[in-house]
Amino acid sequence: MLEKFLESYKPLIAIPVIITLVSLVLLASNGLNEGVDLKGGSLAVLDLEKSISQNDLKLMIEDGLNAEDVSILSMANDKATVQIGGTVDVVELTDLLKGTATILSYNSVGPVLSNQALNQVYWALGFAFLFMSITVFIVFRDIVPSIAVILAAVSDIIISIAGMSLFGIPLSLASVGAILMLIGYSVDTDILLTTRLLKRKEGTVNERALDAMKTGLTMSISAIAAMASLYLVTIFIIPEAVVLSNIAAVLLIGLVADILVTWLMNLGILKWYLEGKS
Amino acid sequence: MVFGGEIMKQKGIMEFIKDRRVILLVVLLIGSILAISTIGIQQGLDLKGGSLIQIQLEKPVDTATMNTVTSVLDKRLNIFGVKDVKVRSSGNQNVIVEIAGVQPDEVSRIVGTPGKFLAKIGNETALTGVDIVSVESPIITDTQYAVPFKVSVEGANKFAEIAKGKAGQPVDMYLDDKLITSPEVSPELAAGNPSTSVQISGGADSKEAAEAQSKELETLLKSGALPVKVTIVGVSSVSPDLGDQFGQGALIAGILAVLAISAIIIIRYRAPLLVMPIIFTTLAELVLILGIAAIIRWNIDLAAIAGIIAAIGTGVDDQIIITDEVLKGKSLKEQKRRRTKYKIKSAFFIIFASAGTLVAAMLPLAYVGFSRGYTGIGVLSGFAFTTIIGIAVGIFITRPVYAKFIEDIMD
Repeated sequence: MLEKFLESYKPLIAIPVIITLVSLVLLASNGLNEGVDLKGGSLAVLDLEKSISQNDLKLMIEDGLNAEDVSILSMANDKATVQIGGTVDVVELTDLLKGTATILSYNSVGPVLSNQALNQVYWALGFAFLFMSITVFIVFRDIVPSIAVILAAVSDIIISIAGMSLFGIPLSLASVGAILMLIGYSVDTDILLTTRLLKRKEGTVNERALDAMKTGLTMSISAIAAMASLYLVTIFIIPEAVVLSNIAAVLLIGLVADILVTWLMNLGILKWYLEGKS
Repeated sequence: MVFGGEIMKQKGIMEFIKDRRVILLVVLLIGSILAISTIGIQQGLDLKGGSLIQIQLEKPVDTATMNTVTSVLDKRLNIFGVKDVKVRSSGNQNVIVEIAGVQPDEVSRIVGTPGKFLAKIGNETALTGVDIVSVESPIITDTQYAVPFKVSVEGANKFAEIAKGKAGQPVDMYLDDKLITSPEVSPELAAGNPSTSVQISGGADSKEAAEAQSKELETLLKSGALPVKVTIVGVSSVSPDLGDQFGQGALIAGILAVLAISAIIIIRYRAPLLVMPIIFTTLAELVLILGIAAIIRWNIDLAAIAGIIAAIGTGVDDQIIITDEVLKGKSLKEQKRRRTKYKIKSAFFIIFASAGTLVAAMLPLAYVGFSRGYTGIGVLSGFAFTTIIGIAVGIFITRPVYAKFIEDIMD
């Protein structure tokens, strides 16, 4: 079956390409939420002293603070995470919630800081990508394989961001960190594949590809297992750690997408390239 | 996997222990454990609990002005009675205030106020904050309070000159352009007798409010004015309980991740023995990263933990690459050693290349952190920096030892 899979590599390239295009459409239509740290606003984790329904809590804060954009992000084990648009006076919030809840953690970002951060996010992501691409070119000194690696990273990141849009994970400083981590993980398997295919001489191309796939899949599955443990812990044990939960979720999506992108697209392009050369 | 004879294996172990890289790792591990146990690891606010207030100055300022700003803020918080305060500049336009407790509300007020004091008679400025030499503790009677303070002799003379012949006229005292009290000019002062004792008095709704207001006044008068206008652009605080939970959660996640990876290694290689060096390498990387963090007094917060996960995660990837390269394709015995060396070399080509790309991707974030300071995306610089340290530790210290181990013992 694997042999057959390796032979029909050309049409298989289309699968990750189509997923990437669908992701772009999804992103364009569904948009991406921005977290409090990038769009400004306040995020509070509350320790509930008495039971209150999600809606009642929302209404209570909306009325009490005269705020419109209130959403309850999570509510479990007597704890709730609340996001409020705009800057909120923490004193007012404490007074308002007296008897209902106490504030465990509070994070508020004003418009000055959030604008600055959003700008920096774009610059950091842009330069990260540029530097990564330059490194890849220096390593392989060959245009087609280098571009194949970079394309794989691009589509992996696009799919992950679309995943964020689909599952409502906001673009925040944490998820930007996760995307940068993903560049690292995604390029790892691509470099492994390219090195094994281009720099190795023993065996046929297909044998080398299968060998690389065995190693690469072990790597990806280990990383997925590690991130899945982190994700499960944030869901069941510490639901307040929204930041860690988001990082784990973005990495999970990206790692799964990376398997498709590396072994269907990057491998396909490389085989095509090697065939053309010989 | 086939192990060599008992003698071969022992020879391998001896060779492994005597290797320079192995000795280096052992020495560094002992050093790290000593550093962690003596110096300790500084936990970030999100793990130990506390508040962080980000302040932005009206415009970028030079170092001298920045020093004035941080020292005024530091003084204010100390006078106000906040314990365990850290005030540091971040770039040339931002200041970060860290406090151990969770009380961002009061602190925000005291920190965000310019503290510009003015006393006017009519339209003439009689006193400014610069004239104040000392401030006494507030006197509170029921809901009324008074904050007495002393002004310099020149200040007193200037005041007396302006007040001359204006008995009964109000002295308007402003703090940050807000009128707080308007006592009348006393007959002695109007007669031209300077006095260095002045006081601001006022009233509040309750005794507690009076205490709070007078304490704020005392603090602001004592610390003097900030040289530039400041605004609070961000507040974050985490209670110590929640911080503990984060720490415990990260620990549980770490243990689960190690178990999950072990299971995958056992299934893939059918060699339970192989799990030990992989877990050992992973733990060694963790200890070395924490050791370095202890020595350079690097804060370990949630972002840094994410960085450690990223570094160790790529570490496991690298060990899988080394293992596969070495175990792949059994060869003739006499060629074996040379071939193993060659394979490890080619494994390290992949390892260095992927480490290079990850470091390249992290550099912009680390740069933002060092040049622009902790505000904005700078929060993430901890993540980038920890990842870079972790990768350096991995590719130069621990992963070569793992390769050596595979070469000498497993092959």
